[in-house]
Amino acid sequence: MNKNKEQLLNKRYKAEQRFRLYGLSAIFMALLFLTIFIFKIFSTGYSAFQKTWLVVPVTFDAELMMLDQNPSKEDLQDADYYDIALKSMADLDPKANEDQENELKRMVSYFFEKEIKNELLNDPNLIGKTKEVYLTASDDLDQVFKGNYPRDLPEDQRRVSDYQLKIFDQLVANGKVESKFNISFFTNADSREAELAGIASSFMGSIFSILVCLMIAFPVAVLAAIYLEEFAPKNRFTDFIEVNINNLAAVPSIVFGLLGLGVLLAIFQLPRSTPLVGGITLSLMTLPTIIIAARASLKAVPPSIREAALAMGASRMQTTMHHTVPLSMPGTLSGTIIGLAQALGETAPLILIGMVAFVNTIPGSPMDPAASLPVQIYIWAESAERGFVEKVSACIMVLLGFLIIMNLFAQIIRHKFEKKWS
Amino acid sequence: MIKIKAKDVDVFYGKKQALFNISLDIEENQVTALIGPSGCGKSTFLRCLNRMNDVIDICSVKGEILINDFNINDKSCDVVRLREKIGMVFQKPNPFPKTLYENVSYGPTIHGMAQSKQEMDEIVETSLKKAALWEEVKDRLHEPGTGLSGGQQQRLCIARAISVRPEVILMDEPCSALDPIATAQIEELIDELKKEHTIIIVTHSMAQAARVSQNTGFFHLGQLIEHGSTDKIFKNPDNKKTQDYITGRFG
Repeated sequence: MNKNKEQLLNKRYKAEQRFRLYGLSAIFMALLFLTIFIFKIFSTGYSAFQKTWLVVPVTFDAELMMLDQNPSKEDLQDADYYDIALKSMADLDPKANEDQENELKRMVSYFFEKEIKNELLNDPNLIGKTKEVYLTASDDLDQVFKGNYPRDLPEDQRRVSDYQLKIFDQLVANGKVESKFNISFFTNADSREAELAGIASSFMGSIFSILVCLMIAFPVAVLAAIYLEEFAPKNRFTDFIEVNINNLAAVPSIVFGLLGLGVLLAIFQLPRSTPLVGGITLSLMTLPTIIIAARASLKAVPPSIREAALAMGASRMQTTMHHTVPLSMPGTLSGTIIGLAQALGETAPLILIGMVAFVNTIPGSPMDPAASLPVQIYIWAESAERGFVEKVSACIMVLLGFLIIMNLFAQIIRHKFEKKWS
Repeated sequence: MIKIKAKDVDVFYGKKQALFNISLDIEENQVTALIGPSGCGKSTFLRCLNRMNDVIDICSVKGEILINDFNINDKSCDVVRLREKIGMVFQKPNPFPKTLYENVSYGPTIHGMAQSKQEMDEIVETSLKKAALWEEVKDRLHEPGTGLSGGQQQRLCIARAISVRPEVILMDEPCSALDPIATAQIEELIDELKKEHTIIIVTHSMAQAARVSQNTGFFHLGQLIEHGSTDKIFKNPDNKKTQDYITGRFG
């Protein structure tokens, strides 16, 4: 009998140990996946924060620019920079023939003419002189410099020719290629050229969408939650509403996108591709999340607080507004932030309402067309150029950073402002 | 003088009847204790007196409860005004998670009882003094009320209840969550408060009922079995059940 008991006890301990082991290995697996994921994104994406520049001597020849003596500011604005830009690239190899000159030109971004112009506008005294100017390297050479380009492919399978590589290697050897922090990734809108593409448009688009979403979803959800929790009678009708709110939370986001397309764009004729429409669509998605969070935190306020206020002669409205709602706010706010973070990462509904359009301007208001960060990731991931690969990862990094900050904020609010009940 | 007169009060939770035909007179400026085993309906009766049962959807009250000869179950009765006149202290101390000052000033604020900051300060001070808490907390009026000890919290709740100068104070087992020393302090306080207020206290402790009350009502299974002066109920009850409960044979 005693022996039997001991065996049983041993068995129970062993079972517990096994159970712990299962738990630990589950956590280990999760951490492993997370590490691989983050490592992959960082190792692909970090190089997007660096940009490659070619340092090219430019001679600001007044004649080539069609400038008179003592030109005014307007003259400098209107001057012709194409010829000197072309010439300075062609001068990299004095023996180049016409085809090769063309190839030389394609070693920098098509924006190079503007970069040279800006240089002169900053310092008009440069006329007639020669100065080394930083020109954005083409996205392919950028990848070559970062070591991401397969140089050993046969020439006809590469976008960079042997000639371009030869000149580029000479420039590298002479120290005329430099890598600097890529400011334009944050200040430029999207572009077909990978070296010029940035996240400014999609970042602002995301911010505007989230703001619109917050301004619509938060008041509606909080009012709905307060009514349902504090005032509504408990009957079949309110049960029905409750079930449907929970159902709404489970509706796939693409359905909301169709709703936005069919109602907001088709019936109300709101402007397509705008954060306004995106925000309204996202607010439909966020609404149930916030309602559920707000109701949970209203429920968490102990009934004794309500009784205390009512017994003091406070009306139901005063009880709710003076006590219950302020006490439930931390929970409601952190639920709201988590709902917004979900909305921030949402792609499908935004694609349907047209926020997937190519937008190369930075939106100034929610009424201007824009992309959003997750949609930008989608657009770039679809692009063929090698230069966009690192941009996708970099954009993911920005989005993740954004999400982490929001969730952190939600945590802080919850811990800092949560009241302890006696 | 009779302050509260309950006539044939029935209370139902849904279809279940919780109180049967309660008729009870409560004397002004005296302490009336309601005793009885758990679930006998004494708290339910107490909550009828300031209509706190309104909060419970399925609860319905029938019969008349006259306070100053006015039926509070009448449609014309305004619960907000009623609860201003009839304060309540609950079983578990339930201060608002706000400062001590805000706890005590809440009632006077919503009822517009103070015209200026000085008046409010005065109300807070006198209420806390009457609740025998002033000396302990006067230096930390702006700290949270939830930081006090259990007994202090309950006295804070009493101060909050008397801040609006109610005529009647209802106490629902106010000492059940407190230690003996805190209980003694509250009992002393009740003795003091009855000079200005009519007090009705629900208690599980017969010793407490005997110590603090002048009148006692004994409830059993939703019925008021017997009521009268505390002396009589404890020394010479008419009813056998009362006798059994008092002597500890059941309950």
